[in-house]
Order: sequence, then C-alpha cells, then structure tokens
Amino acid sequence: MTRGDKILYIVCGLLFAAMALLPLFGASGFLLRTITLALMYAVMALAWNFIGGYTGYSAFGNVAFFGIGATVTGVMMTKMRWDFAPAVLLGGVICSLLSFLIGPALLRLRGHYFAVATLGIANAAREIVAGWDDVTGGGIGLNLPLNTDKDFYTFIYYIFLALTILSAVITYFISRNKLGFGWLAIRENEEGAKALGIDATLYKTLAWVLACFIVGITGGIYAYYNTAISPEAIFNPLYSTTPILITLLGGTGTVVGPILGAMILLPLSTWLLFNFPGIQPALLGIIIILTIIFLPRGLYEYLSGRRKLTLAALLKNPRDNQA
Amino acid sequence: MNTPLRLIGLTTIAAILAACGGAAAPAPTAAPAASTEKQPAQPAAASGACTISFGAAVSFTGSTAAEGKYTKDGYDIAKDKINEKGGIKVGDKMCKLDIKYYDDASSPDQTAQLVEKLITEDKVNFILGPYGSSSSDTAAAIVEKYKIPMIEANGAAESIFARGFKFTFAVLSPAGNYLRGILDLVKVKDPSAKKVAVVAETDKFALEVAAGAAKYAKEQGFEVVYNDKYPAKATDISSNLTVIKGLNPDVILGAGHIQDAILTIKQGKELGVNAKAWGFSVGPTAPEFRKSLGKDADYVLGAAQWTEELKLKGDANDPFSTPQDFAKAVRAKFPQGGYETTIPYQVAESAAAVFAFQRAIEKAGSLDAQKVRDAIAALDFDSFYGKVKFDERGINTFKPMAVQQNATDGGNYTVGPAESASKPFEYPAPAWGSRK
Amino acid sequence: MNSIQFAQTLVNGIILGGVLSLVALGFSIVWGIMHVVNLAHGAFIVLGSYITYTLYTSLGIDPFLGLPLTMITLFVVGYATERWIIHWVIRAPLMAKFFITFGIGMLLENLILQVWKADVRSVTTPYSGASLAIGGVNIPLVKLAALALSILMVIVFHLFLTRTRQGNAIRSTGMDLDAARLTGVKVAPIYALTFGLSTMLAGAAGSLVSMTTSFTPDAGARYTVYAFLVSVLGGLGNVPAVLAGGMIIALIQVFVGFYAPALKDAVSFVLLVVLLLLRPQGLFGKPFTSGKAE
Repeated sequence: MTRGDKILYIVCGLLFAAMALLPLFGASGFLLRTITLALMYAVMALAWNFIGGYTGYSAFGNVAFFGIGATVTGVMMTKMRWDFAPAVLLGGVICSLLSFLIGPALLRLRGHYFAVATLGIANAAREIVAGWDDVTGGGIGLNLPLNTDKDFYTFIYYIFLALTILSAVITYFISRNKLGFGWLAIRENEEGAKALGIDATLYKTLAWVLACFIVGITGGIYAYYNTAISPEAIFNPLYSTTPILITLLGGTGTVVGPILGAMILLPLSTWLLFNFPGIQPALLGIIIILTIIFLPRGLYEYLSGRRKLTLAALLKNPRDNQA
Repeated sequence: MNTPLRLIGLTTIAAILAACGGAAAPAPTAAPAASTEKQPAQPAAASGACTISFGAAVSFTGSTAAEGKYTKDGYDIAKDKINEKGGIKVGDKMCKLDIKYYDDASSPDQTAQLVEKLITEDKVNFILGPYGSSSSDTAAAIVEKYKIPMIEANGAAESIFARGFKFTFAVLSPAGNYLRGILDLVKVKDPSAKKVAVVAETDKFALEVAAGAAKYAKEQGFEVVYNDKYPAKATDISSNLTVIKGLNPDVILGAGHIQDAILTIKQGKELGVNAKAWGFSVGPTAPEFRKSLGKDADYVLGAAQWTEELKLKGDANDPFSTPQDFAKAVRAKFPQGGYETTIPYQVAESAAAVFAFQRAIEKAGSLDAQKVRDAIAALDFDSFYGKVKFDERGINTFKPMAVQQNATDGGNYTVGPAESASKPFEYPAPAWGSRK
Repeated sequence: MNSIQFAQTLVNGIILGGVLSLVALGFSIVWGIMHVVNLAHGAFIVLGSYITYTLYTSLGIDPFLGLPLTMITLFVVGYATERWIIHWVIRAPLMAKFFITFGIGMLLENLILQVWKADVRSVTTPYSGASLAIGGVNIPLVKLAALALSILMVIVFHLFLTRTRQGNAIRSTGMDLDAARLTGVKVAPIYALTFGLSTMLAGAAGSLVSMTTSFTPDAGARYTVYAFLVSVLGGLGNVPAVLAGGMIIALIQVFVGFYAPALKDAVSFVLLVVLLLLRPQGLFGKPFTSGKAE
C-alpha cells in the first residue's frame, strides 16, 4: 500500500465519520436525501466493481436485480405482511439464487456479449414483472406501507451508510485475499489464470452472485424508502448505468474509487440541476465525455499518487487511445 | 507522489464535496429554476405584509417536459391573478403569493428529492403537485411525512389515493373516469353500437383508465370485445390492431399518452381498422395531435378534464367566473405560448389547484399546515374549472369530465357533456377508405 | 387466428422487420468494425426524425425527397462526432467506450430538446397511412417503401464493404486494427467514415420512423434497445445478417403480440439471452474474433 492509498483511506474514513455525525447536527431532510441517494449509488457501484472492476466482466444490466429485489420486498411487505428486514433479505437471497443459476452459463460470455446478455436480462425482467399482474401488481406496481416514524429517513440513511462501509470493507479484504487475486488474474488473462489452477467459473460466479445480492438488497431498501414502485421506476436503466459511471470516474478495481466517484458525481449532478436547469443533462454528458477521454482509468491512479496528475499525463491518455 | 497537482486534485474533491454540502445547506446558492420573484420572505412580519410561499417540482426536461410547461403556466396564471388582487387574505393580512420551481427532469426520484428540498430547506408553506402519476406518487409520500398539504393537478392514478394519505389532494377527476364521457355520447347517439375494444399501454395511469373504461362499458350495456395491453413506449402495436380489426368493434378506446393515441390512429389507418368512434384518454385535446396527424385526426375523440367551452359558472369569489374568461387570460399572458387554438386542460387544472389553496387558506385564516389541510378537506365550491370538492380519499370525484372532438373542419370542439356542446357530435366516423 | 389474420400478421412482421433492420444496420456496422457499442444510436435516429420534420414542415420537402439531405446531415454529424470525440478512446477499455457514447447520447438528446422543444411530433404526408388492400390484408405503402429501402441499403452496404477498396479497408480494420495499419490503411479516416455511414443510416431510419409513429427528444432509447436485439440475433459478422435478425425479431414481436401483446418484449429479450448462451456469434454471424473479447 502506497502512502497515497493510506491518505485516501483516511479521507474515506473521515468522510464516513462526518456522514455518521451529520444527522446529529440537524442536517436538513434534503441534504440527508441527497447523501442517501449518493450512498445508494455508492453501494451499487461497489457491487458492480466486484464483477465489472475486479473480474473484468462488463455487466450492464444490474438494474435487473435492483428491480427484482424491490419487487420481492414489495410483494412480501404488501401481500404477505412481512416486516421490512426479512422481506429485504429474501429479495437479496432470491437475487443471489437467480444469479447463481444463470451465472456459470452467462459468464462463459465475454466482453460485449456478456454486457448485452445482462442488458437482455434486465429488459426481460422488467417486462415479466410488468406483465405478471396477479403477483407484482403489473404495470401499476405496488404501494408499500408508509413508515410514519419521524426518524424513518434518517434510519434509511444510516442503513445505506452502513451498507456502503460494509461493502467497502468486504472489498478491502477480498482484494487482499486469494479470491481478489484470482479475480484480477481472470481480468488480465483468463486462460492464464486457469493454467495457474484458478477455478475461473467458480471465482467469476462468486463475484457475480455477490454483486447481485448487494444490488438486490439495495433495491429492496429503495422500495421501502420510496414506497411506490412500478416497473417503469424500479427498472430505470439509470440504476445500471450510474453505478458504472461512478466506478469509471473513481477508478475500477479499487476500494475507494466507487466511493469517491459517488461522492463526486451525484452531488455534482444535483448542483448542476440547481444552477443550470434545463441544460443539466447536456453538461453532464460533456463531463462524462471529457472524463472518459482524459481519465479513462478514473481518478484513483492520480489521487493515490501512482501517477502524477500533470497536463502531459492527461493528454497522454487520448493520444494512447486514439485510432 | 509529492506533486502539488495531486494535492490540487484532492482539494478539488474536498471543494466539490463542500460545495454540494453548501448548495444544500441553509443559504443555497441554488437559483430557483424559474421563480419570478426573489427569495420568499418569511411569512411572519409586521404591518400586514407577508408572503405565502408555494413550492413545485415540475418537469422542464425529460419525457413529460411539454406537459410540465402547461402545469407551470397554469400555476403562474393563478399566482398573477391572486397577486394582482392584493394576495391571499390570511386573518386580517393580505399575503402575496410566491411559487418556487425546480425541474424534476420527469424523474420521480428527483421529484422526491426536490419536494423534500422545498419543505426542509426552502421552507415553503405548501406544495403544488408535479406532473404525472409516478411523480405525484413519490411526492405524496414526502408531504405525508412532513405533514405539509399538497394539492396536485396532474396525477390521476387512483392508486395514489388508495394509501390513506391525509395531506395529498387532487383537483382532477381520477383515471377510471376518463373514458366514460365518450361511452355516454355514443350510447345516446347510437343505441345500436354495442361492441367496445379497449387497448392500453402498460403504465400506471393507462391501466387504470382502461380498467375504469371496461367496467363502465359493461355497466352501460356495451359488450367489451377486446381489453388488452402492449408494452410501455411501444412503437408498433400492429398485433393488437390486427386482432381488434377481426372483432369489428363499434368503438375503439385507447388508454395511454399522446404518443399512443397518434400511433393507434396511424397504424389503425394503415391496417384498415375501422370504428364508428375512436376515443383516447390523452392526446386528441392537445394541439400537437392535429399537427401530427393532419386530416387523419378528424372524428377522433379525446377525454378532457376541462375545456374552455364548458358551460360552467364560478361562484362570487371565483377569480375568472367562466372558462372563457380563463382562456382569455391565458392567451393574454402567453401570446406565444402555443395556446392560440386550444388550451390544454393541464393549464386549467393546475390553476385550479392554486385557487383551491387560496380558498382553504382564507377559510383557515392561518398558514398552519394542519388547519389548512382540514380546510382543504372541507372545500366545496364552484369555479371556472368546475366543482372543487374532495371525497374521503382526497380526489375530486365531483367534477364532470368533458369530451372534445377533432372536427372535420379542422377545429377542436367540446361535444360532451351535451349541455356544453359547442358543435354536434360528428358520428359515425367513416371508414378510412371512404374518406376524402 | 384465421387465415386473413395470419397473412396480415405475417405482413406486419415483414414490414416491421424492414424498419427494425434499418434501425439496427448502422449500429451493427459500428459494433462489428469499430468494436464500439453506440448507445447514442437511438439519439441519432431521433435527430434524423427531427430534421425530416423540419424539412417537411418548414420547407415543404417530402420526407422521401428529403431523405438524401437528412442522410448527408447525419453523415456529417457522425463523422465529426467520431473525429472529435470517439477517435480519442478507440483503444480505451470496453466500458469507457460504452460510456463515451452514453455521454454523447445525453448531450444530443438535450440539444434536440433545446432546439425543437419537448412537444410530440410526427410527420404526416397526404399519402401517410395509405395502404394496398389485397383480399382483406392491408400492406402499408410507406412501410413497404421503408422495407424496400432497408433491403436496398443492406445490399448497397454489403457490396460497398465487400467490393470496394474503401470497404475492404473498413473490413480489414474491423478484423485487426494494427494489421490493417501495417498494410497501409489510414485507420483514423476509415473509422470516421464508418461512424459517419452508420449515423447516416440512423438518419435514414429516423426519416422513415418519423412517418410511421410519433417522436419526442427522448424517444431514442427504445431504438437503441431494438438495435441491440437485432444486431445480436443476426450476428455481427456480415451485413445481410442484420436483415435476417430484424425479420426474426419482428416476426416474434407480431406473432407473440397477437396472442399476448404485453409479453412480446419479454419473449424477445428472453430469446436474446438464450441465444447468446447457446450461440454467442448470433444466428448467422461468423464466430467473432474470439481472441479479442471486446
């Protein structure tokens, strides 16, 4: 670990500490919601990072499991009168089971084909939930019970904060463990990894199931937070794309990248919304384009000191990546 | 590793984080999207002058940007009218009215975030609804949480009101009522018309419209020969129409949004699907419908929450007293607003939401959220927009809906209810092949 | 389903297949040659629709006569987009390329909104909706023309890619960028040309769909998803496969749609996933340069 890494971990630790204390200092409901959503995306970014960052499989349809997690939670809480916690957990478990069943077959695909297959799964899941009126409420969706406790939103805030920290800690330990090294080996050269005796199918499937479990849990919590869920809302493709963007911005295959990415991109997008109403999407588009041209590996390598952030370094990326 | 540039990078992140904290903190640098006045003053103040602040998260961008504009125009018309007359009477003070707007980009998540900002940071007194059923749904949960009353004018799905919320009210008729007027018209005009086909988009609002229409059709003695749906945002519904064609319905009803109405007519014509009456929940009343379809828009009926030709009369306190007066005011205020031929009902219902607040606040004599909420629940008045009164769920089920028809002369006229008809109902629609 | 309905549904499918093929053609070419999945493809289609709309409503130019103009405009826009933006990330990781086009799509959609506003539009000519009725089966003429145009484009493109010098250069860069460069192909202009041609085809598709349905600035996502379905089903190896993929997706849509219209997309996507698992190169594609798993 470089000194830069240590600094970054301390920055993240301070950030988490500040967030943990924030509600105690009378933060407004809006500030809490903004950070809650940023944390929700951070969790999903950390989840995507397992499969997309460390293992190098370009999952592009994680919203499938967000939506399934939300739907399972919604159905259990409204139709079965389950409590929140078991309903969310069941959502996560069902997502893991589904991803475990399709994982080995799906993960034989690589690159674009894997991305497209996951996109297909996301769309198929949405259409099935929308068409299965009797169970999921179909296109109308479900209304979860409204929690009228005055601290409810703070409660959700802390859940997402805890989930972010937990996911980051899991990422940290896995990345220093045989599993993490296995993932990296697969990412760099899958045939080579197999030759080294790594059970690639098992390792990949673990990354995929872990990611899907976390995303499913996140979807379930979101359902309870938002109370009204319809297929159109919970299968919004933005729940697939935003976590990936966050990870790309922060740095793929790193512990702090997804967290920093989320804490930069989402507040920035909210800030643009207030200051440039109407053209916010265009500005966000330009920022995305510039980030990818000049920082294709994200901010992490500069922030950790692995690479010097100089003008020459920034200009080198587009030169190296051009046709 | 020691480069100053790296430090700059870290500081930038810190700065951005601080900035977003700052943007969210008590003194927002955030400029309101389109507020006409400066920062609303706190409502207290001495000397009888005060301001009541309303907040609204409306779509200026995204999929419902066009309807979002109608909504905002409606709110603004009402605000100007009230301020022109000195404001809203609260006890013995006259309070000016201010509306703070944000763009929710047609995303329900964003609506929730912005409504919470309006309540917890901008400290607005009351909330005006966003555009659309999904956004209204998330906004309803927030206002319920903070116990701030919201009157919404653009979320017709009844599922919003099936949740026992106490602080959300809708001035518009619920989705299930949309297509009733069209069936009533056909039944009177042609008792022999029996077969009805209902086709719906898979969407919260549209499915409620379709269910309501099918139920009402059966009650009225029609035979529902087709009642099915297609995926949301479809660009091809030829399969549904091919089945419908084989059933030879007398009436084809479409539940969905304006895109669906245009698609149904275009593909219906291509496939030679004929019906004596075509009716849609949303679309035919908007100026874009005629612009998009030209002559093919002829005979098509559209459900309307309100039209400027309705024979309605406001009570003595109503600022406009008739729909015609309201229409005149809209055209005067927005000469370039695209309102030359038709005034979309979204403008009127949005204005009605503001006037409903005015009545309730004046009756409550206070800005206390709970008192105003109780006054809204007890409202019962006649206006240029029709009766405003809420059932126990908070929906205005007392207002009738109108039917507009795109007539063969190119105009758009109110044909139902019968007493407000400005032109006879043109029926039956000739088969596509025999039109000129 | 009686025989007339069967025939009508078959016609609906073939005609829809023509439209979907054209929607997917440019997308598939860029993917196959440049290894870029263009998430902005739908936005380019919508831009084509708006240009057609403006030509028709402001200048009175018929959509079919305006087609070359729309296509040229879109070619220029696409060529510039590649030279100024995509050019710089061609060798970047797969996800970076995904998201550069995602950013371009966001930007383009918002620019369209600024220029044309959010109102729903559609192009309706005097002959819109005209159809040929043969024994109870209606064949919409505009869509028949679209089908003919799609087939024509597919043939022209196939010949261009296989018979011309430029086309061979494009295909060889698709197979191996560095090898192509070594044999003297100037890669940068070839990529710009490829991308320009693909947006040009998107423009043609936009012109045609502007007449058959309505559009708003945000209508593009739907088309991008169909482009995915068709390209993957057909396979990326050759141009005629796109036509086959389009036809198959369209026939599934209309026949499933006849019995369970709400599930037609669900069935299409499940089929996409199953097919990918069984035959990743698509039904008609050649196995795609497997070493380079991008």
